[in-house]
Amino acid sequence: MLYKILVVDDEPPVRDLLEDLFKKEDCVPVTCGSGEEALALLKKETFDVVLLDIKLSGISGLDVLKDIREKYSDLPVVMITGFGFDEELIGKSKQFGCCGYIGKNMPVAEIIVTFKKFVKEAKERTRV
Amino acid sequence: MKDIFSKLIEDAAVLVLYLDQNGNIVLCNKKTQGTVGLNSAEIVGKNWLSILFKNDDNTIKREMFKAVLDDALTYRRTKDFECHLKSSQGDSRLISWNVTPILDKHERIQGSLLLGHDITESQEGKNSLKNIDDSLKNIISSIDEYALYVINLDSLITYFGMGCEKMFGYSKPEIIFKHASILHSSNKAVLELEAILKHVHQFGKYESEINLLTNAGSTIPVRLTVNNFLDAQGKLTGYVFIAKDITRTKKLEYQIFQAEKLAALGQLSAGIAHEINNPLFVISGRLVMLKGEKLASKFAETIDLIDSQVNRIRKLVDRVLKFARKSALTLEPVDINEIIELALPLALYNNLPSVEVKIEKIFEKNIPKISGDLDQLQEVFLNIIINAYQSMPEGGVIKITTSNFQNRYALIQITDTGMGIPETNLKNIFMPFFSTKGQGTGLGLSICHNIIKNHNGSIELESRINQGTTFTVKLPFA
Repeated sequence: MLYKILVVDDEPPVRDLLEDLFKKEDCVPVTCGSGEEALALLKKETFDVVLLDIKLSGISGLDVLKDIREKYSDLPVVMITGFGFDEELIGKSKQFGCCGYIGKNMPVAEIIVTFKKFVKEAKERTRV
Repeated sequence: MKDIFSKLIEDAAVLVLYLDQNGNIVLCNKKTQGTVGLNSAEIVGKNWLSILFKNDDNTIKREMFKAVLDDALTYRRTKDFECHLKSSQGDSRLISWNVTPILDKHERIQGSLLLGHDITESQEGKNSLKNIDDSLKNIISSIDEYALYVINLDSLITYFGMGCEKMFGYSKPEIIFKHASILHSSNKAVLELEAILKHVHQFGKYESEINLLTNAGSTIPVRLTVNNFLDAQGKLTGYVFIAKDITRTKKLEYQIFQAEKLAALGQLSAGIAHEINNPLFVISGRLVMLKGEKLASKFAETIDLIDSQVNRIRKLVDRVLKFARKSALTLEPVDINEIIELALPLALYNNLPSVEVKIEKIFEKNIPKISGDLDQLQEVFLNIIINAYQSMPEGGVIKITTSNFQNRYALIQITDTGMGIPETNLKNIFMPFFSTKGQGTGLGLSICHNIIKNHNGSIELESRINQGTTFTVKLPFA
């Protein structure tokens, strides 16, 4: 197994797709549909990385990110959004401590490669 | 009796001075003392001119006053004279003098009596009225946005006033006694004028925005007010037309409308793009997974086709997001000439028509740097240059000039010798999804517009069919 990934997205088809894509990459994805659920899951299980949608119903992705940063300082979080490369959102995500940013508008193959690259870099940083 | 006179003189509201034959002061009242700022003891016995002009070295005024007194004494008559007196405090009073020789019973000169009225205040009043009058005239003649003309009951122009020649381009002689419908633009000019006059009859006044026609044949949008023109007996003799040129107002209104429309569209587009991106992500993701399966070749072909079409949508949505986005600017001091030099080679990578295009660069050196986002500005000029190429399918010249505009802006003009843009398309040119090219999304120039606006600059264009188009960009210096 490469990574155990917590996938947070409020749209079931998106969640299911990500789940299938990551399984193919020899990862173990666990999915949930809201920030609240994600924080609850993090209390129970350990993950290698969180893939977090920015626009969520309930607590926003950015607030979840802040919360994770406070409680699990070493846990890498990659943000994903349908808004594409919005510099304002990228700026905020970085400020709140995400290790990468992915737009759903990127070609799918690229999304997976980029995601793995972000996680690898983050893991290397924490090891150092 | 003498005491009463003395008291009257002493307390009089006018300056009273009595001089002897030699011009020395024998008597002066309180008002005089107050005006020159000296007491009686300091004044009496002194030469009158040395006292009155004690604080003033204007010798011309002094000599003139002296001449007036000489004249009064020589011809034994009363003379008037106006002059300013400076007090010891330095303030200046305007005094209207009345100089009267005092003769004895043998008509010999005993001395002279000077009575002075302080008219400073009343004169100031007059002056300020005159100033108002003058400035009104100035104001009226400088308001070239107004034109005033009068027509008689036969609708013939009888007065072609201020501002008219400039607004309509007719000289007075050529238009006086012409039918006023000559200034109306529609092909039903006479009917339009009649309708206006009918309205004035009914309601006493007409006021509306309409287009009038100039001598050169162009129309000007005006706010037209028409009133009855009555003679002294109150009899209707014609109509007064006041037209205010509202071209500028119209242009501003239009710009604000455009800006608001663009902002609203931006928000809407961002929302829609986001909603499209999610399902699109699912579709393209599922396609990728399907491609990994072993499929019959006819399915594989179909899937490839779907994939390419999905990609097309994805690219479009990307452009929409780019247009909609309020992307933060990465500001740095940038050299405008350098940006254009960087953008030019990029244009060649953009599938341009392979025709002969000559690029003329007229760059002013040492233009101050502007505070801008290098990448975004580069995109703007790249876009304009590509547009220029595409407007010249048979080749031509692209002229790029840069200059320092009033020490405030970097001015960039990009002119092509292409097919030009029809006037009907000009007003939509910066609107998203507006394209005449058949290819492309119609977002390029709307993105440029947004980028320049985010830089507090302006972008405008002028175009003539079959002659070419000029884009003018202004960017404020850092």
